[in-house]
Amino acid sequence: MLLESVEYTRPATVEEALEALASDDDAAPLAGGQSLINVLKNRVASVALLVDISRLEELRRVDPRPDGSLEIGACVTYDELDRSAEVRKGHAILADVAGRIEDQQIRNRGTIGGNCCLSDPTNNLPPLVMALGATMNVQGREGVREVPADDFFHGYFATAVEHDEILRSITVPALGRDAGAGYNSLTIGGDSKAIVRASAYVRGDGTIEDARVVLSVVGPRPIRHPGMEQRLRGQPATAETVSRASEAVGEGDGLEPPTDSHGTADYRRRMARVVARRAAHEAIARGGEGGE
Amino acid sequence: MTQTPTGETTVERVAPSERLGKWSGQSVPRKEDRRHLQGQAQFADDAWQRRMGYAHFVRSPLAHARIVSVDTSKAEALPGVFATLTGAEVRELTEPFFQIAPEPGGNIVEYCLAVDKVRYQGDAVALVLAESRDIARDAAELVEVEYEPLPAVVDTVAAAEPDAPVLHDEVGTNVAWHGVYDYGDVDWALENADHVVKIDRLHFHRFSSTPLECSAAVVNWDAGTDMVAIYSNNQMPMFASLVIGPSLGVPSNKLQFRSQDIGGAFGIKIGSYPQLAGLCLLSRKAGRPVKWTEYRADHMMSAGHGNERVFLDIEVPVMSDGTLLGFKVRAFDDAGAYLHYEPLGAVIWSQVTPGCYRFKHIHVDYTETLTNKCPTVPNRGYSRLQHLWLTERIVDIVANELGFDPVELRKKNYIQPEDYPYETPNGCVYDSGNLPKALDLALEAIDYPKWRRRQQELGKGSGKRIGIGIGTTLDSGTNNFGQSRIINPGLPFSGNGEAAYVKLDLYGEVSVNLGTTPQGQSHETTASQVVADILGVSPDDVHVTAGFDQRHNTYVAFSGTYASQFAVTGLGATMGAAERLRAEIVKVAAFALEASEDEIELEGGQAVVRDDPERSIPFMGIANLVYSNVAALPPELADSVSLNSRHTYRPPFEVPDPEAKRGNLTLTYASQTHACAVEIDEESGEVSILDYAVADDCGRLINPTIVEGQVHGATAHGIGAALYEAFEYDEDGQLMQSSFYEYHAVTSLDVPHIKTVHVETPSPFTPNGAKGMGEGGGAPLHALCSAIQDALDDDSPVVSETHNAWERVYRLLHPDPGTGRGVAVESR
Amino acid sequence: MSDAGTAHPIKVTINGETYERTVLARTLLVHLIRDVLALKGTHIGCDTGNCGACTVIYNGRTIKSCMMLAAQADGAEIETVEGLSENGELSPLQRAFHEHHGLQCGYCTPGLLMSATVLLRDNPNPSEEEIRRGIRGNICRCTGYMNVVKSISAAAKEGAQ
Repeated sequence: MLLESVEYTRPATVEEALEALASDDDAAPLAGGQSLINVLKNRVASVALLVDISRLEELRRVDPRPDGSLEIGACVTYDELDRSAEVRKGHAILADVAGRIEDQQIRNRGTIGGNCCLSDPTNNLPPLVMALGATMNVQGREGVREVPADDFFHGYFATAVEHDEILRSITVPALGRDAGAGYNSLTIGGDSKAIVRASAYVRGDGTIEDARVVLSVVGPRPIRHPGMEQRLRGQPATAETVSRASEAVGEGDGLEPPTDSHGTADYRRRMARVVARRAAHEAIARGGEGGE
Repeated sequence: MTQTPTGETTVERVAPSERLGKWSGQSVPRKEDRRHLQGQAQFADDAWQRRMGYAHFVRSPLAHARIVSVDTSKAEALPGVFATLTGAEVRELTEPFFQIAPEPGGNIVEYCLAVDKVRYQGDAVALVLAESRDIARDAAELVEVEYEPLPAVVDTVAAAEPDAPVLHDEVGTNVAWHGVYDYGDVDWALENADHVVKIDRLHFHRFSSTPLECSAAVVNWDAGTDMVAIYSNNQMPMFASLVIGPSLGVPSNKLQFRSQDIGGAFGIKIGSYPQLAGLCLLSRKAGRPVKWTEYRADHMMSAGHGNERVFLDIEVPVMSDGTLLGFKVRAFDDAGAYLHYEPLGAVIWSQVTPGCYRFKHIHVDYTETLTNKCPTVPNRGYSRLQHLWLTERIVDIVANELGFDPVELRKKNYIQPEDYPYETPNGCVYDSGNLPKALDLALEAIDYPKWRRRQQELGKGSGKRIGIGIGTTLDSGTNNFGQSRIINPGLPFSGNGEAAYVKLDLYGEVSVNLGTTPQGQSHETTASQVVADILGVSPDDVHVTAGFDQRHNTYVAFSGTYASQFAVTGLGATMGAAERLRAEIVKVAAFALEASEDEIELEGGQAVVRDDPERSIPFMGIANLVYSNVAALPPELADSVSLNSRHTYRPPFEVPDPEAKRGNLTLTYASQTHACAVEIDEESGEVSILDYAVADDCGRLINPTIVEGQVHGATAHGIGAALYEAFEYDEDGQLMQSSFYEYHAVTSLDVPHIKTVHVETPSPFTPNGAKGMGEGGGAPLHALCSAIQDALDDDSPVVSETHNAWERVYRLLHPDPGTGRGVAVESR
Repeated sequence: MSDAGTAHPIKVTINGETYERTVLARTLLVHLIRDVLALKGTHIGCDTGNCGACTVIYNGRTIKSCMMLAAQADGAEIETVEGLSENGELSPLQRAFHEHHGLQCGYCTPGLLMSATVLLRDNPNPSEEEIRRGIRGNICRCTGYMNVVKSISAAAKEGAQ
């Protein structure tokens, strides 16, 4: 419960934050703290310098673009996503999911950036940003580089963000009128930790033209499921298609979920199929929600 | 004396006080609320003393190991560290704790810190004291302990095997106690029954009420007076005194346990005495007060868990007409690594030997084992809960297997209203009840026929199933501690009691202090209600001391707040003291008003001559005469009144028979009947509660809203344990839950709307007709197992676990091929 | 203190009163409130930000004060349970908890009151479901939440905040 000795600084600009991160091998950015403070309290990892970026205005904006995409600052909180008219307009699912993360107090501080960068496999937003085909904008002292969400999550608490960089924002493309996204979790209790979870994106009017299916808590990082996606593409956008496609999940796809107090690997493998099906189903049902 | 049906045990009937009426029975809002609502309560971690240091325990990461060495030098060298304490020092300075068990279990040598061996993950090895919490925490990591790991045993049945690793060399075995309880003739019953239902194994899992406030204390061993002051949230301070006093060499009159507000305890905070003993020594060594805050991870690992129990080879003789004759079972109870209240649990379950039913032939072979896990403590429902679940699963499974209607089978086998007071096969007397009516009310509250219809309408292929469950339970209250002699005939304990003190203060103000340590049970309020009735004042005029102070409050050895007894023992003591005070007030008033005593009435804070209201004297006047105007009283009167009345309520118990294992073990038996409808998702095993109702009977209600609040809380705890909360160890004895992420304490989204209905069958044995309640009896465990069973198929395995989180339910719905059902029926 | 580390000067306003203190980076906000400023109404019930006993209002929004460094709170306006009543008069919300038995041991109560305060500010007429979602971040082990929901509902009807 009590932290080890640590230093703290609150830079006034992103540039200063990057300098601070570069100055110490054991520096880490601190945003909402809802993951990182826990990590420090439980002494699971050691940080020598906390660089507080939570008040940097340029990281806290929700910028809708003319093409319907949305650039969301890394320090935008779950609560802000839930209540943002801009987010609800074109990406209601993001607001819905953010609005059901744990509880109000956590939502008032937890940030989309923190949720993605402190990549605990049970975190809510990584599979969703992957399903939405988001681009993660990573800023270093040299500038901003774009990392597709699919390539962002490397493993348990490990992402594409280097030690002297921060995640600046996430760009979520427009959903479009013939596309929809879905999200389904099997949790321990209401709005609580996931046992297994899936997020899906389906595009196509009547026939599925493109699909993305993402599973999480099936290993150290969220993963796409090409097997199921393949069985969706080119098929009619029906419940039957989704059911049949979901049978690819858990069958020789190399999923290695953990066994812990909330479920065995075998159970998670079986449930991965269930949540994948439900998420894809929802994606079809919610098609056109974001379109104009 | 009233004869009970078999005539073997008699309990004296008590006429309930006629004075209770105006305030008792009302839902008077609580006195306790104001300070809590304003953030002005005083919990143990709020305490502060000048010069105090902050303590942190160093705990073993291993489940079983020899301690090779403990080196505190690096910790002591850290700036800001005041002192350390190790097991080696403790062994020199203290005596081992008193043990309840007879030999060999009683040979356990336990000190407040581990000496020679650690026996569970979390076993305290050393203490560090520093000038801040943070430094104490940092210093604890610098204590170097060298361990030689030993094999661990975590299964309670395996622990009893002769080849299991032995935890305590002085005991020589992990069987801390063993006994056979045998009543009637179960072998005859098994031979002559029309059917025998055989259940392989039932398992009651480990969980805990996890009070929101962890343990905490500020302890000061005063070098000047040798008084040891312990400001803590221990909930049974007299038990703690009895154990740690001799260990520390401190006489009772030099111990000062104090507490004001306690943030929930549920039995867990009975078990903090070993830590407190360590803190006392640390305080003396360092020459300063010691503050200890237990963090949640420590609490989960070492504060104490509820009993885990395994039932094997259960055989149930049943007649074709549905009469259950009894049952035979082998029970293994897991006490964890030390006996911290065990093996008392090995007899306490027998307060409810036949559960709610008229079983006559009962055979329980009971083994108490030690394992490399956290020591168990009397968690809410202590030991009766585990046994009641067994009886409920038995009835539920029999109904299921033999095709009896679940409602009719229960009603047929219930103890009937006309049977009370009912003597059980082992001589306990159930005071009162009406189980059939309670069941009807609970089923009505959920609209049972509607759920049966919905269940049928829900076709196959819908992906969902509906299950309807029933759970009946008892909350036995006011223990006869003489039952400890059934475990160990050498123990000098028997009966029970609680003490209270009621007085008039200088200006006639009414004051009460109690021997209890409430943790939300509203004792200040209910005590003020009964005193108000007896003294003719309003509860607002009755000041009840908040909290407990060993040097100021009155107490007996059983004082504390635990085991569903306050309404009987605490209020019994309060009523007794109030009656004595009343008699004194009347006596003084009779003199002052020149009337006879039987003409005097107390109303509105005055003593008045009946039918002559002009002749009256306020309590202020009574107090004046006795305290400051005493020469105005005749000498015999002055000598016979003090306006300071102490009373110990003593329930009418005798010492039970340890040979026959018979006797009246508890005075009152509250009951709860739960009915619920659940929806199960066939694909995932997820269980949602659609409807939930409780019919509770705790005799006469002193404060209905407070009782209902206790029912809600017990229900939430039971639902939590049934579906969400479990403490599990891996095979190396590593606890898999260390936070509320893994141990999912139920939130407002998990606990459904709970409907409550009341049945009131007053107890004939208590001064107020009330029965203790509060623990509840764990009926959600019974009801939810029953509901899940009801949703399964006829050839599904039986629900054999108390904990049914989603995966387990999934496995019941989709058992792997070759999985046995866990039950067999032999019919003649 | 002999604890190593830089001391950070901070200024916080709590219940309208401004405090200037110096804290170590690792000091949690809840310890600033409880230990440094001796406002004991805010409680600690867990190590991992689950239980909500430490809930305070921070710049108008509820947060778990054990999940924030005191240094992060520099310049903030904080409300704790001690600020809910004025001159010893219970607020309508506090009165509702009293009238409807919304507390038993009282340990979760301050955090719950803060959550309920903001819940009602945001949504003056919440349904039972909205109340339950609003207090999901406050664990109570005594009440089973029934009378808590009842109290908040009653307070809403009275137009409380």
